[in-house]
Amino acid sequence: MSEQQPVLVRVFLTFARNSLVREMTFRTNFFIQCVSAISWTLMNLGFYLIIFHHLNRKPLADGSGWQQNEFFVFLATTWIVFSIVQAFFMPNVQEFSELIRTGNLDFVFLKPIDTQFLISFAKVDWSALANFVMGILLLTVGVWRLTTQSNNPLSLNLANVLLYWFYVACGVTILYSLMISLAATSIWLGRNQSLYDFWFYITNFSRYPMEIYARSWGWSLWGLFTFVIPILIVINVPARILARPLRPEGPWLGLPLSGFAILATLVCLVISRRVFSLALQSYRSASS
Amino acid sequence: MNVIELKQLTKTYRVYQKKEGLLASLGGLFQREYRDVNAVRGIDLTVAKGEFVAFLGPNGAGKTTTLKLLSGVINPTSGTAQVLGYVPWERKNAYRRRFALVMGQKNQLWWDLPANESYRLHQQIYRIEPAEFTRTLDELTGLLGVRELLRQPVRELSLGERMKMELIAALLHSPEVLFLDEPTIGLDVIAQHNVRQFLKQYQLERQTTILLTSHYMKDVAALCERVVVIAHGQIEYDGSLAGILDRFSGHKIVTLAFTENQMPPDLTPFGEILEVLPPKVKLRIDRNVVAEKLASLLSQHSVEDVSVEEPPLEEVIADVFSRATRSKEA
Amino acid sequence: MYVRAHTWWTILRIALEERLVYRGDFALGTLMRFLPIITQIFLWWAIFESIGSGSVETAEIANFTFPDMVAYYLLTMVGRAFSSMPGLASGVARQIRDGEIKKFLIQPVDMVGFLMLNRIAHKLAYYSVAILPFALVFYLCRGYFTAGWPDPLTLAAFVSSLILGFLLGFFLETSIGLIGFWFLEVSSLLFVYMLFSFFLSGHMFPLDLLPEPWNLLVDLLPLKYMAYFPAAVFLGKVSQDELMLQLGIQVAWIVFFIFLSRYLWKRGVSRYSGFGG
Repeated sequence: MSEQQPVLVRVFLTFARNSLVREMTFRTNFFIQCVSAISWTLMNLGFYLIIFHHLNRKPLADGSGWQQNEFFVFLATTWIVFSIVQAFFMPNVQEFSELIRTGNLDFVFLKPIDTQFLISFAKVDWSALANFVMGILLLTVGVWRLTTQSNNPLSLNLANVLLYWFYVACGVTILYSLMISLAATSIWLGRNQSLYDFWFYITNFSRYPMEIYARSWGWSLWGLFTFVIPILIVINVPARILARPLRPEGPWLGLPLSGFAILATLVCLVISRRVFSLALQSYRSASS
Repeated sequence: MNVIELKQLTKTYRVYQKKEGLLASLGGLFQREYRDVNAVRGIDLTVAKGEFVAFLGPNGAGKTTTLKLLSGVINPTSGTAQVLGYVPWERKNAYRRRFALVMGQKNQLWWDLPANESYRLHQQIYRIEPAEFTRTLDELTGLLGVRELLRQPVRELSLGERMKMELIAALLHSPEVLFLDEPTIGLDVIAQHNVRQFLKQYQLERQTTILLTSHYMKDVAALCERVVVIAHGQIEYDGSLAGILDRFSGHKIVTLAFTENQMPPDLTPFGEILEVLPPKVKLRIDRNVVAEKLASLLSQHSVEDVSVEEPPLEEVIADVFSRATRSKEA
Repeated sequence: MYVRAHTWWTILRIALEERLVYRGDFALGTLMRFLPIITQIFLWWAIFESIGSGSVETAEIANFTFPDMVAYYLLTMVGRAFSSMPGLASGVARQIRDGEIKKFLIQPVDMVGFLMLNRIAHKLAYYSVAILPFALVFYLCRGYFTAGWPDPLTLAAFVSSLILGFLLGFFLETSIGLIGFWFLEVSSLLFVYMLFSFFLSGHMFPLDLLPEPWNLLVDLLPLKYMAYFPAAVFLGKVSQDELMLQLGIQVAWIVFFIFLSRYLWKRGVSRYSGFGG
C-alpha cells in the first residue's frame, strides 16, 4: 500500500523543474528580478555600513558584541533565511490565497497527495535565490574576517557549521508555519492584502539582533516575539551560533535559547498544520 | 453493480451578508448576519458501472455542488454517498486515484508551460507507471488529434485545444469515474463536436462511468441515455431523454401543407395554431388526440404533406424548470 | 470658466467617493505602517547607547540626538504621505499600453490635470482616514520632539515643503509614466527610481549620515525633497537663510518636471497618433 503513495521528493523535484522551465521562458524577466532582489539587498548592506561607519568600531548594541564582522554574519543569515522563504514558500502562499479567491482550490483536493504539501511546494521562485548567493558571499566575508582577525580570532569546527544550517532550517520552518497559518486565515477573512502586509511588518522584527530590544518596554516585545510568535529566534539563534558575538555568552543566549528554538520550531509546525486543516475543513463545509 | 449511491444527500451553506460602510463592517467582525442557502436538498441517486448520465438544470440548481460533493471537495450537511465503495469526503488517496473531475471554466494545467510538463507532474502525483503513462498519453493525444501541441505552452493554445489538454490531464490515470462539469462551455461548434465525439468513443471503449452537466442539449442528446433533471436542489426527473417528452410535454407539433388555395379558413377545432404561412400551417395538438385529429383533418381537407414532430427539447426542459419554480413558490 | 471648474469638481468628487469605500483597509494599513518605526526606535536606541558608551543622552550622530532620530523617522512618514504616489507611474504606463489613453484624446479632458485631481482626491481621502492613526502615533511619541513645536515661520516652511513635495512627487512620477510612450515596459525604470528614492530621499536614514562624496550627490538630486527636507525643516536642521534657497530649488525642480511632463505628453501623443494607436 505504501508504495502506492506518491514520492514527495520526486513530486517536489518535478515542481522545481517545471518552475525553472517556466522562468527560463521569461529569461529577461528572471534576470530583472534577480538584479532587483540583489539591489535591495545591497542597499540594506549600505545602510548598515553607514551605521557602522558612525559606530566607529563599537558594537551595534552596547556590550552585545555585534561589531561589523559579526553583524555581517547576522545580515547574511537574514538574507539566506528570507531568500529561502521567498523562493520556496512565498509564491505558493500567494497562489493559495489566489486559489481561494478564484475557487480553484477545489482541484487541489482532488489529487491523491497531501493537500498541505501540494499547496506549500507547487511553485519555486528561483530568482529569489539570488539573495541566497549574496548571503553566502557576505557570510563567507564575515566568517573569513572573524577567523583571521588578529585580536581574539574565531575558531570554527564542523559542528558549528552543521548546527548553523540546522538552525537556519528551523528558522525557515518557523517562518513557513507563520506564513501558512496567516494564509489559511484568508479562507475565513476572504482577502489577503492586509495579511501580506502584516507578515512583512511582523517578520521585520526578526531582522535585528535581539539585544536591541533588551531595554525598558522593549523587553515585552522581546518576550512576545520570542515566546508567543517566536520570530526573534529565526535569525538570532543560527547567527549567534556561527558568529558568537559574545564569548562566553550570556546566561539566556546560550544553550537554553538553542534548546527552546527546537521546541518552538516543532510547536509552530504542529500549530500551523492544525490551523491549515481547520481552515480547509471550514472551507469544505462553507462553500458550495 | 452500483458505482455511485447517494441517499438523502443535503448541502446547506451560509452566506455572509456584508454590510456597507466602515462601522457596519467593523461590527461585522463581531456579529455577522448569515443567510442559509440550500444548494442540494435530499438527493437519492444510484448510477451503475458504465452509465453515462447527464445532469440538467438551470444555474444554481445544485448540479455543480453535487459533483463537488461526489468528488469530496466539500462536505455534505447530511445524507450519505458512496462512490466505488468510498465515502468521497473522507478523501482517501485510494479513492482520489480512481476518479477525475473536469470543470470547463477552470484550468489546472500550468499556464506558461507546455501541457507535457503538467502531465509529467500528474504522473508523479498519481504514480502512473512510465510505460502505462506513455501508452495512455499516446492513445489520448491520438484520439483528440493534439499530439503535435504537447510541446506548446498552454497559454498559446486555443480554448478548444486547451479543453482537450485538460481532458487528457484528467484521464491520464485512467479514472473509473469521471465527473464533467460543462466540458464544452465556450467552445465553437467544431470543437464541441470533437470533444463530444471523443467522449463518446472513450466511454464506449473503456466503459467509464461518467456524470456530465451541460447547458448544450446536443451534448446530452449525443452522449447520454440517462438524464437527471435537477431544480432547486432536488431531482425532478430521472430517466431517458425521450421519457422527458412523454412525461412533461403533452403536445406534438403537426405541420400541414394544403393543396393550393385549399386551406380551410378555421383550424382552431383541430389544435392551437402556432404559425400560418399559406399553404403551410403549424399546429400544436394534444398528444393523446393527435391520431384522431389528424384522421379527421386528412379526411376533410386536401393535404399534400404532413409532418408530426416532438416539441424542441430545450423548450420542454425550460418548461420543466419553470414549473418546478412555480411549484416551489406556491 | 465656471463650467470648467464644475467639471473638475465633479471628477474630484467621484474620485473621492471611490477612494472612501476602502477606508477600513486604509486605517488599518496606515497603523501597520508604523510598526517598522518601533524597530527603528530600538535599533537607534541601541546604537546611540553604544556610541555614548551606555548613556543615550550625550550621544550624537551627525548632529542628531536619539530623540531627533525618532522624530526624524516619524516626520519622514508625513513627508512620504505627501510625496509618494503609489501606482501613478505604473498606472500611466499601463493606460498607454492598453490604449486607455485614447479617452484623453477623445474626451475634452486634459490627462495630466485629470490625474492630478485623481491624486488629490486619493490623498484627501487618505488623509481624512490616516489622520487618526498619525495623530495617535505622534501623541504617543511626543516625548521625542524635545524642542516642542517649531516657530511659526519654520512651521509655515514645513507645510509648504510638504505641499511642494506632493507636486514634485506627482510631476516626477507622471514624467516617468509618460516614458511609456517610448518603452512599453517602464517597470524596470520605475524600479531603479524607487530604489534610489528609497535610499537617497532620506526615507531610510537622515541624509546627514552619508559620508563625503554621497552627500554632494544627494544635494544635486530632487529626491531629498520627498522625505528628508520637510523633516529637516521641522527639526530646525535647515538654517533660516538656507531655507528660502532650498524652497526655491524645490520650486525650480517642480517647474522643470511640469515642463518635462508637458513635453513628454505632447511628443508622446503625436507619436501615438502617428502610429495610429
